[in-house]
Amino acid sequence: MLAVTNIPYPSWLNPADNTWQLVAATLVGLMSLPGLAVLYGGLVRKKWIVNTMLMVFTGFSLTLVVWMLWGYNLAFGPQSHFGPTGSFWSGFIGHFTPLSTAGAEQGQAVSGANTLIPFHFSTATLAYFQFVFAAITPLLFLGALVGRLKFKAWLLIVPMWITLVYCVNAALLWGGGFFAQKGAVDYSGGYVIHLSAGVAAFVGAAIIGPRRWQDRENAFPSNLMMVAIGAGILWLGWNGFNGGDPFYAGADAASAVLNTNVATAVGVLTWLLMDMFFSRQKKPTFLGAINGMLCGLVAITPSAGWVNGTGAIFVGLIAATIVWFAWNYLSRIRPFSKVDDAMGVVYTHGIAGLVGGLLVGILADPGMVQYGVAGRHFKGAGSFSVGGWFYTHSFHQLWEQFLAALWIIGWTAVGTTIVFTLVKFLLGGLRESDEVLSLGDVAIHEEEAFPEPTFGEPLMTPSHIHPDNV
Amino acid sequence: MKLVTAVVKPFKLDEVKVALTNIGVSGMTVTQARGFGRQGGHIEIYRGKEYEFDFVDKIRIEVACTDEQVEQVLDAIVSAARTGSVGDGKAWVTDVEKVVRVRTNERGPEAL
Repeated sequence: MLAVTNIPYPSWLNPADNTWQLVAATLVGLMSLPGLAVLYGGLVRKKWIVNTMLMVFTGFSLTLVVWMLWGYNLAFGPQSHFGPTGSFWSGFIGHFTPLSTAGAEQGQAVSGANTLIPFHFSTATLAYFQFVFAAITPLLFLGALVGRLKFKAWLLIVPMWITLVYCVNAALLWGGGFFAQKGAVDYSGGYVIHLSAGVAAFVGAAIIGPRRWQDRENAFPSNLMMVAIGAGILWLGWNGFNGGDPFYAGADAASAVLNTNVATAVGVLTWLLMDMFFSRQKKPTFLGAINGMLCGLVAITPSAGWVNGTGAIFVGLIAATIVWFAWNYLSRIRPFSKVDDAMGVVYTHGIAGLVGGLLVGILADPGMVQYGVAGRHFKGAGSFSVGGWFYTHSFHQLWEQFLAALWIIGWTAVGTTIVFTLVKFLLGGLRESDEVLSLGDVAIHEEEAFPEPTFGEPLMTPSHIHPDNV
Repeated sequence: MKLVTAVVKPFKLDEVKVALTNIGVSGMTVTQARGFGRQGGHIEIYRGKEYEFDFVDKIRIEVACTDEQVEQVLDAIVSAARTGSVGDGKAWVTDVEKVVRVRTNERGPEAL
């Protein structure tokens, strides 16, 4: 019989938790690469595919470097305590310190977000898991900015926005900061990620200005099969997004996965039926169904493991209905009609995230225990659940959710304005010239998504373009 | 010699090809084409927004033949490509001054 000391990992590490957390993180990473890259690539015009996909890949890379240098500890490290204990400034942000030493990576994960029971995996696992969430957020608001944003501007916007906006919001709601202490909850990022991305999309698009009118008139998608691949990766990738957020490979992870999928299925069907019976054209459309899918996914995100199955169905139904009306009618009213949000991020992420975050305060079932093992009757150490108005007949949770939403909207709007204005000043503008915009990928990258085949065979071996091309 | 050019609905291509080979035509050139006639364009809806697609997909067929074959070729194309609705297409005939077979450098009707 092997001695316990031969197990090649520390006693606090649980291989099932560690494995699931890394798998969940990888699933979330796949939502960005290639998920959003091909989803956006399929939704933009053919001449913008390369530029859009490259922004997705560089945004992901930039966020990881920032995350290692200061992002992780700023958002999830020990709080800085700028003010007296319990005050807003006490729970504002962590420290600007890198995550670089062996001890820091391989030690047991600790986070202000969870003081109930210890994590059973290392800091590297938690840092990577939290990174993929940080990384997807700027990629979501990128959807509003494509088709005119200067490439260099994107390289500056991502690290600045992650630092100023994402890390602060994450620390306040997830890192044990002020709103977390007050009792506002966000299961997997309906606020920190989606509401914030929606607001940044809207504010950013307003600052950059609209695409050329010719591009807006011709904004039909390049490839719906690519949209199908990207959307499918998003949906199933969300099993990691929400299933990873109990931080334990337990019963609530399974509930979060199941609830996420049922809310999404209802979102797809709701939007489809709205299109078939209430749209002007009365046609079921694939891209409409994808919008409904996003509404379901985003709206269930803040509540995935805290609502029961019935609650999840209502989340998908309510969110898809509200966003459908916003997409079709609110979009005609100022200021929405004046801002060119290329992919409608403010609707499918912003409004859906807000609706989902508020629904926590109504539909969360206290019988859904996040850290427990036996559902309603589990009252042991680490038992945590959330009660919405429907079960508690109290508006307390809804009020906390409302206050946190106000903060996210306000801070994101202010932070995004600061970042975009600063980058505009540094680079002398956020847009490519109209001449470049009329050509797209070839003018910016000298690459195109579908290079035209050259007919015939070359006559000479050495390339006449560059002496190195032998 | 004549060149018959026909623009027809894409799904009628195979019927036209069979009809032409049945009357002894030994070659044709086919191009994907877009255009508009009386049929006009159509609307597509993406994410709730309508886009006008002005040009409709068509197939352009080119057949070179002798003067005597022209009426037969036209009849074959019309009978095979006709559906009776708008957008069935057009065919027209032009004079061909000279035809060359590249492999043998033959000239004239023998090159067809």
